[in-house]
Amino acid sequence: MISAGTLPVVLRLILVIAVLAGLIAIFGAGTSSPRADLTVYNGQDVTTLDPQRLSWTSDMRVARIVYEPLIQHDVLDWDANVIPAAAESWTVSDDGRTYTFRIRDNARWSNGKPVTSGHFLYAWRRGMLPDIASDYAAMFRFIDGADEFYAWRVEQLSAMDRGEKPFPDGDSFWQATLDRFDRTVGLKAPDERTLVVTLAEPVPFFLDLCAFAVFCPVYPPLVDRYEYPDPESGRILRRPGWTRPPAIISNGPFRVASWKFKRTMRLEQNPHYWNRESLNVRTIEIPSIGDPNAAVLAFRTGAIDLMADVFAPYRGEIVADLDRFRAEHAGEIQRLKSRGLDQYSIAAELPDDARKYVHVVPSFGTYFWNFNCSPRLADGRKNPFADPRVRRAFALVVDKKSITQQVRRMGEPVSGLLIPPGSIGGYKSPLGLPNIGDAETEQEKQAIVDRALGLLAEAGYPDPANDFPITVELVFNKDSGHDLIAQLIAKNWQQHLGVPVSLSQKELKVYREDLKQHSFITSRAGWFGDFADPTTFLDIMRTGDGNNDRNFSNPAYDAILDRARTTRDPQARLDLLTEAERMIVEDELPMIPIFTYVTLYMFDPDKVTGMSAHPRTKQNLFLIDVLGDGIGADQPRPMKPRNVRGPTS
Amino acid sequence: MIGLILRRLAQLPLILMVIYTVTLTLAWMIPGNPLENPDGRRPSPEVAEQMLKQYDLDSYPRFYITYLDRLTGLRALRDSFSGDSGARAASAAEAGIDLPDRLIFDFGPSLQYDDWTVNEIIAGSLPVSVTLGGVAMIIATLLGVTAGVIGAVRPNSIADLATLAIALVGISLPGFVIGTVLLLVFGVWIPIFPVAEWGSARSLVLPSLTLSLPFAAYIARLTRFGMIEAMQSDYVRTARAKGASETRVLLVHALPNAFLPVLSYLGPATAFAMTGSFVVEKVFNIPGMGQHFVAAVQNKDLFLIMGVVLVFAGMLVVFNLAVDVLYRFVDPRIG
Repeated sequence: MISAGTLPVVLRLILVIAVLAGLIAIFGAGTSSPRADLTVYNGQDVTTLDPQRLSWTSDMRVARIVYEPLIQHDVLDWDANVIPAAAESWTVSDDGRTYTFRIRDNARWSNGKPVTSGHFLYAWRRGMLPDIASDYAAMFRFIDGADEFYAWRVEQLSAMDRGEKPFPDGDSFWQATLDRFDRTVGLKAPDERTLVVTLAEPVPFFLDLCAFAVFCPVYPPLVDRYEYPDPESGRILRRPGWTRPPAIISNGPFRVASWKFKRTMRLEQNPHYWNRESLNVRTIEIPSIGDPNAAVLAFRTGAIDLMADVFAPYRGEIVADLDRFRAEHAGEIQRLKSRGLDQYSIAAELPDDARKYVHVVPSFGTYFWNFNCSPRLADGRKNPFADPRVRRAFALVVDKKSITQQVRRMGEPVSGLLIPPGSIGGYKSPLGLPNIGDAETEQEKQAIVDRALGLLAEAGYPDPANDFPITVELVFNKDSGHDLIAQLIAKNWQQHLGVPVSLSQKELKVYREDLKQHSFITSRAGWFGDFADPTTFLDIMRTGDGNNDRNFSNPAYDAILDRARTTRDPQARLDLLTEAERMIVEDELPMIPIFTYVTLYMFDPDKVTGMSAHPRTKQNLFLIDVLGDGIGADQPRPMKPRNVRGPTS
Repeated sequence: MIGLILRRLAQLPLILMVIYTVTLTLAWMIPGNPLENPDGRRPSPEVAEQMLKQYDLDSYPRFYITYLDRLTGLRALRDSFSGDSGARAASAAEAGIDLPDRLIFDFGPSLQYDDWTVNEIIAGSLPVSVTLGGVAMIIATLLGVTAGVIGAVRPNSIADLATLAIALVGISLPGFVIGTVLLLVFGVWIPIFPVAEWGSARSLVLPSLTLSLPFAAYIARLTRFGMIEAMQSDYVRTARAKGASETRVLLVHALPNAFLPVLSYLGPATAFAMTGSFVVEKVFNIPGMGQHFVAAVQNKDLFLIMGVVLVFAGMLVVFNLAVDVLYRFVDPRIG
């Protein structure tokens, strides 16, 4: 029993707790810094700012403000031409194989040191090392000797692992690697400001690649302190830290002032940036917001100026609101459009309304449904989808319009193509296959169904309800509403073709692994392009390509791509690629294109300017000006007027 | 008392070893390649192999041992005896390399967040979770005990039924409902608290309140039943017979005994509040540790899974120990 003398223990305990609570509330949580000139929601947390290790779009968006490549896209130009960045000029040799870049003499790192051609060479070499494991290592393989260098290093690393000791230790292996690189790879820095790149064969889009974030330089004295060859195996060991303050040294318009994991990243102008006069905000804040709903709420309360992506589950409703607003102002929008204004400028002209803060922009990506094209399925059964006629029949009866209008509801354009139309200047898209959603009358609809049934009969299944040999499984990853799309497609196939179907929902990692192993029958898929050339899409259908989940193989298709590779005349080359895409989307159908992805932005068009509306959906956030803040030019920055050569989407 | 503490602390490594083995084995069996961006380009097979080798992820037994080696500091100990570490430091200094300086409890790099180590991630998120969970438990204790005492003073009165009803709501309504409603009302409609922000005392109010409610409800029920029982006991009758005031009877004679079950509940509950606040963290966008439990598994971020699980397990053991010690302090009969 507790005696009277010690009784108030509980009361004392509560008192102590209360005092503690007060202290934590006052001091524990700390203080927040003043609001930045521009606050951007970036969709998800930055996973890395190591240029050669970039993989996510959201990471690249930030990397492009922090680092500067040799050249850049003019994202406010409908042609998205390249313009000088860290390089002030460049020349291309007559045979189209040698590019000579001249680095501007006032290009500076954030520590004030000059950016040299050696820094680019160092960074690109990192990209070509198998042990750095760049997701985009393949992009460097256009450089002469890069492929062989890469293969050699892989072979030696394995030999070291097996204990064959081709080199006595890690350091001598590393030295041999550097020597070999200098000797055999077509990348040279004859002086501090000249970078000479020799390609294995002419690559018409090489300049476009140079503008890719993975081609940004790194500061070697910094990286060397964090990466070193393992004394035994010679494999480069990486240690995190150099991509964050206080260590990080970068050469872009902005530098990372602070980065608190899962909290916020704050960027401020790089004091040594050569083109600092062009910048129109002093600071950019990128808060980390895990919950997509909370992000929209934060935008609505004014805590965020620009949402570079909207993932809230109710975004269909957000877009529906925008559509209603546009319908109310249809006449005015038409008038403004005829004046050649881009969609943001049009929105700025319309009366103020929260609904117009939403912007739907077509993306450089396509949503599609894969067929496994292997002769046999993973379990050894014969695969009916190895026959292109079967694939075509299944593609015909998918009602794409219902998918975009009833399920996605984000204003995605229905697509019969692999490459988003209008995204690549000078490229002419094929027509693609019709689908049942296009039919306006019952007769038209029936004609498409009959055509599909006819194809199945030709392939040996005159009565698919009874003689189709397998249950058609639709594999998809959970989240993002893929389940609803799968249900709709399954219903189409069941209803129109009579085949048995089953749905199979998987964890993202499992789904991904199944695709890689070709262990599926049909599956949800999508692809985003990386550079302005049709091959960024077409290559994934090549026999044996690492991203050819469909296991599609057609020697005639590969031959067209090979022919295009050696064709020097740009137009003749693009025509060949049009033929290749036609094969895919009209004859072979290794997948069913469903729609072109769109990106949703949210910002007040009267306040935020400098956003690109180009279908490649690449935003260079350093172009943004917050109007009315008295900083920088404070002038609207619309897209440049289209010229006749521009895309006609 | 000291014997008890020492005994429990001696058990800690054993418990952690079991957890280490079970967690690692389960995490290892998650399908998929942790080094692959699910939305990105697929690395070539050679690259994938090199990456796995870099982290010893190509062999379970090798990983099991090397990771344990680093975690326990055995490797550092061995290296310093053999003189390897000195030689390595000298050659690193010569080459201008900064070697990692963590000798023990090195959880390794995060596979998902390339630029961070697991130690940095935990160091950044644990204080947040501890603050949030701590404040929530304080609120829960104050609310719960108050409600429980009110309920026990007049069982089955309106006040009792009302507190019981509120407790029921607190237990049955999930955090994301309460949190979202609070956020909408006090963040958006009446904007007195910030939305999706962390770093000020104001931003702590709504999340800690949300987190505290289920705990408060349970504490209220524990207190109420304890109090009702205590009020019928002999010592309370004796106190009343001696002429003690009703307030004194309640707070001084009955409450301390009724508080004992609450105290034993507080230990594990505090550990849960500090690490299991995933939902609240998500709704209020708080950079705490709870989110990593879910995200790390989804990403198969092996090092991060091990880090958060081991830290949580360690906390759970320590909190339970703390409660046992407190118990003896409050009630000398035990011991």
